Amino acid sequence: MIELQGLTKVYGGKTVVDDVSLTVGQGEFCVLIGPSGCGKSTTLKMVNRLVPLTSGRIVLDGEDVTTLPAEQLRRRIGYAIQSIGLFPHWTVAENIAVVPKLLKWPKARIADRVEELLALFQLDAAEFRDKYPHQLSGGQAQRVGVARALAADPSVMLMDEPFGALDPITRDVLQAELARVHRETGKTIIFVTHDMDEALKLATRIAILNEGRLVQYDRPIELMFEPADDFVRDFLGKADLGLKLLTRRWVHQYVAPAPWADRKASMGELRDIVASHGHVWLVDGEGRPEGLFGARLWRADGDPLGELSRVHPDWMATPDMSMKEALSRMVWRRILALPVVDEQGRLSGEVTMAGVMGRQSEGQAA
Amino acid sequence: MTQAAAFAPLRRGGGRGVLLVVLTAVLVGLVLFMEELEPLFRAWFPDLDNPLYRRETFLRLTLDHIVLVLVSSAISVSVGVAAGLFVTRRAGREFEPMVSAISAIGQTFPPAAVLAIVVPLAGFGFVPTIVALTLYGLLPVVQNTIAGLGTVPPATLEAARGTGMSPRQILLRVELPLAMRVIIAGVRVSVIINIGTATIGSTVGAQSLGTPIIAGLVGDNIAYVIQGAAVVGLLAIVTDMAFERLERRFTFG
Repeated sequence: MIELQGLTKVYGGKTVVDDVSLTVGQGEFCVLIGPSGCGKSTTLKMVNRLVPLTSGRIVLDGEDVTTLPAEQLRRRIGYAIQSIGLFPHWTVAENIAVVPKLLKWPKARIADRVEELLALFQLDAAEFRDKYPHQLSGGQAQRVGVARALAADPSVMLMDEPFGALDPITRDVLQAELARVHRETGKTIIFVTHDMDEALKLATRIAILNEGRLVQYDRPIELMFEPADDFVRDFLGKADLGLKLLTRRWVHQYVAPAPWADRKASMGELRDIVASHGHVWLVDGEGRPEGLFGARLWRADGDPLGELSRVHPDWMATPDMSMKEALSRMVWRRILALPVVDEQGRLSGEVTMAGVMGRQSEGQAA
Repeated sequence: MTQAAAFAPLRRGGGRGVLLVVLTAVLVGLVLFMEELEPLFRAWFPDLDNPLYRRETFLRLTLDHIVLVLVSSAISVSVGVAAGLFVTRRAGREFEPMVSAISAIGQTFPPAAVLAIVVPLAGFGFVPTIVALTLYGLLPVVQNTIAGLGTVPPATLEAARGTGMSPRQILLRVELPLAMRVIIAGVRVSVIINIGTATIGSTVGAQSLGTPIIAGLVGDNIAYVIQGAAVVGLLAIVTDMAFERLERRFTFG
């Protein structure tokens, strides 16, 4: 756990960080976000005192570390940056071992730790241990950069736009990997970015800064439902706030019982179900969705039983899929409902366009 | 080992290593056995009564020359690197323009002019020559030290600070190793310049390979000039090649 208390930084009469206080609990993933020049990076660098504090206090695991010598403090806090900054004259293993070496760990323990971290980031130790930074791709280099930050098992990790310089595909992969590493290690992380999608993907808490001040510090969903002011609302992006919200919602939260019938059902039975539900899923002998009557947008005014649609594999939703993706599939396939299937591919429920709307307003009222 | 394997290093850029060995052998041979070449010089310059410099052995002249270069370069390098380090630290940053200017002046001043100034103050011989050579060799060392430290990427420095290295650890483990190639290139230029320039020390009585050259110029004996110049030239080439190999050891990425 780390507490920032009244952090203030004044550069030549200009206050760039103004009384920022926030507590990041054990295992939280806190994202500092805001427009350029909002002081998010400066705030982060004040935590390990790469930027000296004008005033304020930092409490790390209950201990006031504001007056601890900066070098000692930094060896207890992991630090990863956008430009990575691997030492070009050292191998991957030597780069990762920097802080353990400074802390004078025994050689064998350092070697074990390097292996462990390479494995954590899915880099083959035999292949990568003795490589030099210039032999690595951008994604591999940043994995090593993050591994270096984790090397001495710090209780807190600081990350300053670590994925900002990577191409979008590599960035996605590394975001997913960082989320996994966060789950597996339970590290407390403070992460700076200017990319709201990245923040929503990774954060358990988001701190929005503007002009050096902390505007709002909340869980992602709370932030979206109750923005503190117009700045936050604008920053979240008015235009696709609804879609952003759905990146934090999951299919299993929206699933409803699906109207279904066996493929051998009579037209009369089908007509009864369609009359009450508007559409019906046809399932095969194993309970897998096979066809759909109704719920197709361009047939809304015609007879729902006029045309059978075959269920396409792209239609299926799984309980752990994000609602953004489910919605995207509905829009792309122009259907008003998606079948939700279990691991065996059996129909276990459905998510509907109407359901998305219903849940959304429910949340808003709450 | 098969013959092919034995010669593998030669084919992999080892050619220059062989050249260095050959040239060093020629240099040593020339220094030790210059006398044996007397018939050659006699045939080349039939008009000269003494076509071979004999007032001092070439071994003695070469060793004196090397001492002049070593002493002056040692001073240039230690003062130059120290000055370069000082002006790239936070405390000394404001002195950078001054230090650069002083070392530039040291280089633009012709060594002959420095001798003219220093001789009345320090007398003839070794000392004024060392002063002139030291001043002359300072600029490349200072400039390359500053430039070399400047090539260390800011991200690497930030990462080094972020990991909790002390300023001293950052200098010794990160900055100097990464700047070493450029610093050595500066030392290389400085030493090569001084190997050539040390010959003028003979005009103020410091014995060096310049001694036969000056004697030859004064006494109208081209053979003396050629003998001195050949050894100086070879010494410079061999030293330069050795430095090149040293530099390559500090190339990363």
